[in-house]
Amino acid sequence: MSKPKVAFFDFTSCEGCQLNKLNFENDFLDMLEHVDIVEFREAMDDKADEYDIAFIEGSISTPTCIERIHDIRRRAKVLVALGQCACSGGVNAMKNLHQPDWVREEVYGNEKYRFPSIPAQPVSAVVKVDYEVRGCPMSAPEYLHIFKSLVMGRKPEIFDHAVCVECKLKENECVLDKGMFCLGPVTRAGCEAICPGNGQYCTGCRGPISNLNLEGAVEMLREHGFSETEARKRLHLFSANELV
Amino acid sequence: MNYLDTITRMNLHEKYLLTSKQIPDFISFLKTQGAVYAAQKKGEQSYSYQYVEDPANVVLDYPRTIQPLKKFFLPPREELLSFDYQNNSYQKTDVVAEKRIFFGIHSYEMQGVLRLDYSFKKGNPEGNYLNRRENCIFIGVSYEPDEFHLANALGIEVENTEGLSIYLEPVREGYIAFVIDEAGQNLIQGFGKTAKVTETIHIKEKPAKAKIRYHYNRLPKVFEHVYTSQVWGQIAKKCLGCGTCNLLCSTCYCFDVRDEVSLDLQSGTRERFWDGCMLNRFAEVAGNENFRDELSSRTRHRLHRKFKYLTEESGALHCVGCGRCSKYCPAKINLGTTINALIDDFTEQQKLKEAY
Ligand code: SF4
Ligand code: SF4
Ligand code: SF4
Ligand code: SF4
Ligand code: SF4
Repeated sequence: MSKPKVAFFDFTSCEGCQLNKLNFENDFLDMLEHVDIVEFREAMDDKADEYDIAFIEGSISTPTCIERIHDIRRRAKVLVALGQCACSGGVNAMKNLHQPDWVREEVYGNEKYRFPSIPAQPVSAVVKVDYEVRGCPMSAPEYLHIFKSLVMGRKPEIFDHAVCVECKLKENECVLDKGMFCLGPVTRAGCEAICPGNGQYCTGCRGPISNLNLEGAVEMLREHGFSETEARKRLHLFSANELV
Repeated sequence: MNYLDTITRMNLHEKYLLTSKQIPDFISFLKTQGAVYAAQKKGEQSYSYQYVEDPANVVLDYPRTIQPLKKFFLPPREELLSFDYQNNSYQKTDVVAEKRIFFGIHSYEMQGVLRLDYSFKKGNPEGNYLNRRENCIFIGVSYEPDEFHLANALGIEVENTEGLSIYLEPVREGYIAFVIDEAGQNLIQGFGKTAKVTETIHIKEKPAKAKIRYHYNRLPKVFEHVYTSQVWGQIAKKCLGCGTCNLLCSTCYCFDVRDEVSLDLQSGTRERFWDGCMLNRFAEVAGNENFRDELSSRTRHRLHRKFKYLTEESGALHCVGCGRCSKYCPAKINLGTTINALIDDFTEQQKLKEAY
């Protein structure tokens, strides 16, 4: 059996997810044994016509993005969105909450006409996405699970339960009990509750669980002493597209 | 319940005085008899059962731990087997039943383990759980019920000694150790440094803060009539489906299984981990159908499991009133309040029936 051809592409993002991937170091090198990397801008320069697995990082936010992603989709057997920008638009989607003209002026000033831009969208808004690795930056445990499963030709198992579950499995002290803010009860698990595990609150970087009770979440945060405005604002940080 | 009865019942046991100074010595002695586990501080204001390295870290006065005692018998994550694709083989992971002494646990916690025993013994007995349950000794301690404890209201008094070998009641000088069974007797004798107490110990009543409007015997009856109650919908407005109330429950036993291959893509392990009926994938079947899609039907199912289904089968309520589901629910949904709302609904129905 020949090794699967794997390619990585980046769209609108901070490229933190790709760098995060290189940080796996040994694990990542071990995985490379099982695949042929055919395109990976951060690490090498090569082109191939077809990919068994295409990993996409970043959101779709310009007209050229749309052309490119269609082209990649045509050449990829399996397409995986990497990181929250690719999965939901991520932080980029915050701009969608404002007037597009104002946003362009703020960012590019007088040059704004040279930079056509559209609302930041998830990859799935344009082409079919087979799997998602959520998180900002993307969650390493989920990435490894999906990567290994796909290389072996198995269906990855993706969680659709809250970060609280991972906290409970680890018996973390709940940060809400310490008067801190937390979006863990409505955020999708898969990161092993890394933030609460280190005494931080969950900012919701992996987006909401599929049955998000939005009003319940706002009410929950109010019960813990946070204003409705603050609650909604923080819920929007990584999930503007999903919550509007 | 009449406290005089409790005092009489408790004083039938042999009693010894363990002074505050002797407690660490006693724990050190227990450590020579088996691996000792007890509540210890976890984080700023939480507690967790942990292996006792230093007797000085043991806490005897605490409201509850985050995870219940089930974590020792049904670990949150557990490797069931390891497999190898290359030679198409697998090996079950051994479960060693070391001798363990659980020191300073509350009566509802012990009852929780007894409920799990029931669940794991019936039908297909669960080997790993039952292996881990071998060779365990439980030493109980009294506690002050807080606003989340429902144990008293559910018929499990603080001084319930079923399953325990020794029960500790605080007094001015330290603790009175009530010897409940032979294993307890052996431990006290083996330690040897305690003075026998002959006078009657007047155990103080520990009033329950949380109340249920009906006697607990009537709860299964109430649950026969509230399947269509509006209460489920009201709770679902606040509920986030986070699953905390399942995972931390003393008597919930559901789990999920997942295979994970190693990076060599040749070998791997099968792991099981706690799951619960409040979570999305729990009732999902092929084709992405979910036969309990709504949070209202999930809460209804969860509580029917505690107060009706398993109760009809076993004769015991399968909520032991540890209060974890209320205390740790991020949305502050309180089990006592829910039960009282259901009772009100039931009472209302009965009134209407009588009027006809
Ligand atoms: S710290 Fe956050 S994620 Fe963890 S249990 Fe508490 S609310 Fe849930
Ligand atoms: S705990 Fe929350 S913020 Fe932290 S990585 Fe997980 S989902 Fe993101
Ligand atoms: S702990 Fe509370 S919010 Fe979470 S699923 Fe249970 S009832 Fe709902
Ligand atoms: S239902 Fe709640 S109070 Fe009852 S045993 Fe479970 S966690 Fe404890
Ligand atoms: S209440 Fe739900 S999670 Fe708990 S044991 Fe029953 S079915 Fe399982």
